[in-house]
Amino acid sequence: MTSTALRPPTAGRAASRGAAPPRQKLTPHRRKEALTFYLFISPWVIGFVVFLLGPMLFSIYLSFTEWDSFTAPVWVGLDNYITLLTDDPIFLRVMGNTAYYSLISVPLGMVVSLFIANLLNKKVRFRKLFRTLVYLPHLIPIVAVALIFQMVFAPEAGPLNQALALIGIDGPNWLRDADWVKPALILMSLWQAGGGTILLLAGMNGIPKELYEAAEIDGASGFRQFWSVTFPQLTPVIFFNLIMGIIGSFQVFAQVFILTGGGPDNASQMAVPMLFDEAFRFYHMGYGSAIAWILFVVIMAFTALAFATSGRWVFYESEVRQ
Amino acid sequence: MSAMTPAPTAPTAVGGGRARPTRPRTLSAFRSGPLTYGLLVILSAIFTVPLVFVVSIALSSDATVSTGQLSILPRDFEFSNFVKIFQTSLPVGSFLVNSVIIAVSSAIGQVLSSSLVGYAFARLRAPGKRPLFFVVIATMMIPAQITMIPQFWIFSQLGWIDSFLPLIVPQFFSNAFNIFLVRQFVTRIPYEMDEAASIDGLGFFGIYARLILPMMTPILIAIAIFTLTAMWGDFMGPLIYINSEDKMPLALGVQYLTSTSQELQTPPWNLIMVGSIFLSLPMIIIYYFGQKYMYEMNLSAGSAGVK
Amino acid sequence: MGAAGAAAGLAACGGGSAGGGGVPESDESHTSFVMTVWGGEEDKNAYQARIDLAKEKFPDYDITLQLIPSENYEQKVQTMISSKTGPDIMQVAENVNVYASKKQLVPIDDLLSESGLDLEATFGPVGANYTWDGATYGVPDRSGAMVLYYNKDLFDEAGVEYPTADWDWDTFLEAAKALTDPSKGQFGYGGVGWWPQWFSLVAQNGGNVLDPETGAPGVNSPEAVEALQFAHDLYFTHKVAPTEVDYSNMGPEMGADGAFQQGLVAMNSTGFWAVGGNAGIEGLNWDIAPFFHGAESAVSAFGSALVIPTAAKNPKGSFEIIQFLTSLEGQTPIADAGQDVPANLELQQSDAFLDPDWLEADVNLQAFPDSAEMIFTPKFIPEWNEMQKAIDDAMASFWLGESDAQTTADDLQGRLERVIKPSE
Repeated sequence: MTSTALRPPTAGRAASRGAAPPRQKLTPHRRKEALTFYLFISPWVIGFVVFLLGPMLFSIYLSFTEWDSFTAPVWVGLDNYITLLTDDPIFLRVMGNTAYYSLISVPLGMVVSLFIANLLNKKVRFRKLFRTLVYLPHLIPIVAVALIFQMVFAPEAGPLNQALALIGIDGPNWLRDADWVKPALILMSLWQAGGGTILLLAGMNGIPKELYEAAEIDGASGFRQFWSVTFPQLTPVIFFNLIMGIIGSFQVFAQVFILTGGGPDNASQMAVPMLFDEAFRFYHMGYGSAIAWILFVVIMAFTALAFATSGRWVFYESEVRQ
Repeated sequence: MSAMTPAPTAPTAVGGGRARPTRPRTLSAFRSGPLTYGLLVILSAIFTVPLVFVVSIALSSDATVSTGQLSILPRDFEFSNFVKIFQTSLPVGSFLVNSVIIAVSSAIGQVLSSSLVGYAFARLRAPGKRPLFFVVIATMMIPAQITMIPQFWIFSQLGWIDSFLPLIVPQFFSNAFNIFLVRQFVTRIPYEMDEAASIDGLGFFGIYARLILPMMTPILIAIAIFTLTAMWGDFMGPLIYINSEDKMPLALGVQYLTSTSQELQTPPWNLIMVGSIFLSLPMIIIYYFGQKYMYEMNLSAGSAGVK
Repeated sequence: MGAAGAAAGLAACGGGSAGGGGVPESDESHTSFVMTVWGGEEDKNAYQARIDLAKEKFPDYDITLQLIPSENYEQKVQTMISSKTGPDIMQVAENVNVYASKKQLVPIDDLLSESGLDLEATFGPVGANYTWDGATYGVPDRSGAMVLYYNKDLFDEAGVEYPTADWDWDTFLEAAKALTDPSKGQFGYGGVGWWPQWFSLVAQNGGNVLDPETGAPGVNSPEAVEALQFAHDLYFTHKVAPTEVDYSNMGPEMGADGAFQQGLVAMNSTGFWAVGGNAGIEGLNWDIAPFFHGAESAVSAFGSALVIPTAAKNPKGSFEIIQFLTSLEGQTPIADAGQDVPANLELQQSDAFLDPDWLEADVNLQAFPDSAEMIFTPKFIPEWNEMQKAIDDAMASFWLGESDAQTTADDLQGRLERVIKPSE
């Protein structure tokens, strides 16, 4: 490899990460480099084709069929989609449930994480202890979380209702009451807000102290300093995690499968458990594939929406607005 | 306060321009009072109560469980439950071993493949690289459910149902997130080192294997940790692909414990909670030892952050 | 991997050698068999004992039992069948036609005639249950009517006469009322929230949840609604049965069976399996009687059969094993372990079943053969699994008293009509 000085400027070394070289015949060396590149990325490429692209195409095809996985698929055209969107009250309810769960638990979780992170960001003794206690639940695998909360939500013996009883509230039968089962799932997800807390703390560590000092001089209270300094600086982190959180929570599965089975009467049924039921228990794999694609479109729509509105509240340091 | 008039617009760092060498007063944003401590104590308690509850149930006797007299603080201290769980009709010992096999193999697969692919994206030039990278990133947006059913069909045609293969083999083909991490990390390694190595006669693979790979250790450890924790707790994969009890990992096996009890009686919640503890403890231990690598990963990903 | 190629591959993966009656091809050299069943630990032990006997009879055969929890059964079996690692012998019940209608089971008519096994003679009326579209698919393995368990001590205390087969809805209700004592938290009856229980009530009133010929749903017929109303009243008008809330107050995961064992409920209707459990409870003084009748006599039965999936490589071998397992010898462990009522009539009527060693108490097991002629079997439709889900969904609020019989029945009827395609 020769020194950079000899390289034509358009194909500068620093540009190798992004810019394609100009359309000229590749030198033998560059050809070798290109071949090596493709060789090295071949694991991903193979994986992409075999486990992602191929299945995606296959899945699109399946969504236009009725297939029980034992006999050959039967082409039904758009029937699955039409039924799902117009003639399946369970599906519409399920999508509503999923959106409800996602759009409440994720932002709410962020708020809780932010609140706790702000507390932990202060000068407190035993900070490490508090931080660990708050973070511990996040480490617990979801299966264990579901089983733990099956006990926590017990109407008589569970700690939640017992605590409510202390302040005179008669706690509901969380997992069997159609009105409370989704809030129960949301509460369960909030228990793991420690994950977001750690992220935000890391972000907060990166905020220059000078900003606070300037605000202090301006006479800003602690609360005001949070809103004007801390929060804006964190918005990129918050935004990214909101997106990933929404994408992830739309795909919720284990908790619903283990805790409620979607009940009562589909009050807590979510998209992926329904897909699982339709495909693997009732043997309607085409229908299940259509559900997957509708879910995908919905997730994309919300993601796009989030991006579109992000300009208004996400503050990037590189843009200074007057 | 000094008489300095601050600029009215968004503050830029003035640096240590002020004349005060010490700060006797904590900034308002960081002052903590009794309210702070009170809230922290309450919140920590709320977060910890379920964990205490789990331990308490895990230590409960069978009688307590079957009459439903569970309490938050331990009432019985049946440490024997931790042994009894291995004496049920389900092979809990196998569950643990299977989980280890699946998690470790997956971690190895991801580390090997992601390091190679990420290095290539970071260092090697080729036509079409940029669009390809764009595709890699785009695949992060695709929910796993789209491919669930077709992948199931593929694996059933291959005869891999009821084995670990559907869970482990895809891990050897890397994934977008890990490629992204490795690439970001490698990009921060000065290119001069590659140049020096090539002058010494190393080819692309040599540079990768002898130079970059060792330097990648922090990020690879982070990837290994991620993969380990993800596969250890994976439920849906084993649910779909594994049928025989002796091949089940713990995440699936613990859920099975709730189902295969005697039909007339309540599930053995004490043993189930022991199982949950077994499921959770390794995660806590891995976190404890792996913390600093997670921080390193934070740096690499920029605003990507830890999940 | 083009979609077209995949489609071609899919066409090839469906169906096996099942043509519709012909003796299937068998690879006689294939001697290892997997048998899938559902249930709990007791079932596992009973099945394993029978398989051990089968292994003695067929020393060359290697038979493995795979027990799957009932809520995962369809899904697990599906992964096995569709990947052709399918079980060689499979337990089925009302869901048999989910698989038969998709040609995933081997028709056994030829195998039956070759072996001389006469289903009707050996098993009685249930022998005809496991057929579809003119072909036979299953050999009955277990069958037992739902019976009425009653707590003799509580009856004595309340001064009520023990139940008999002559009881009708009115006598039953009278007794239940007399046996209910809120001050003691005691209820007269465990409830009818489980489908075999309320299906019986509907049948007794002359209704049909599913049409016996076509399988078309008829759950909102006047007779059915009346039966549902009677059920509803047991909980909310007469309060002789605990609601879900009452049960959760008794303890976590408490149900009728557990409540009966604890003496909180004086009568319970369920299948044979409670006999073993109840027998083990010290201080519980109990017996069984045939289920009461309504305008007609009808009671659900709990049966299961053994079938051969088309994925099995040696159907002939599978059938040999099944034939043994359903013979007197192969069924004896069922009686010995007290797992269930064996389908084999000879065994059912023998002392091995009626007076088994494990049962010290004097229990009227004769109630089971006596109930045999009352048994009604709902039509086993291919959409059985979806029907169960629709029932669970629609009836959830009904059992909590939040909805009345007519509304619930109409709602359920609508859901069932969406899901069930009646045949001809």
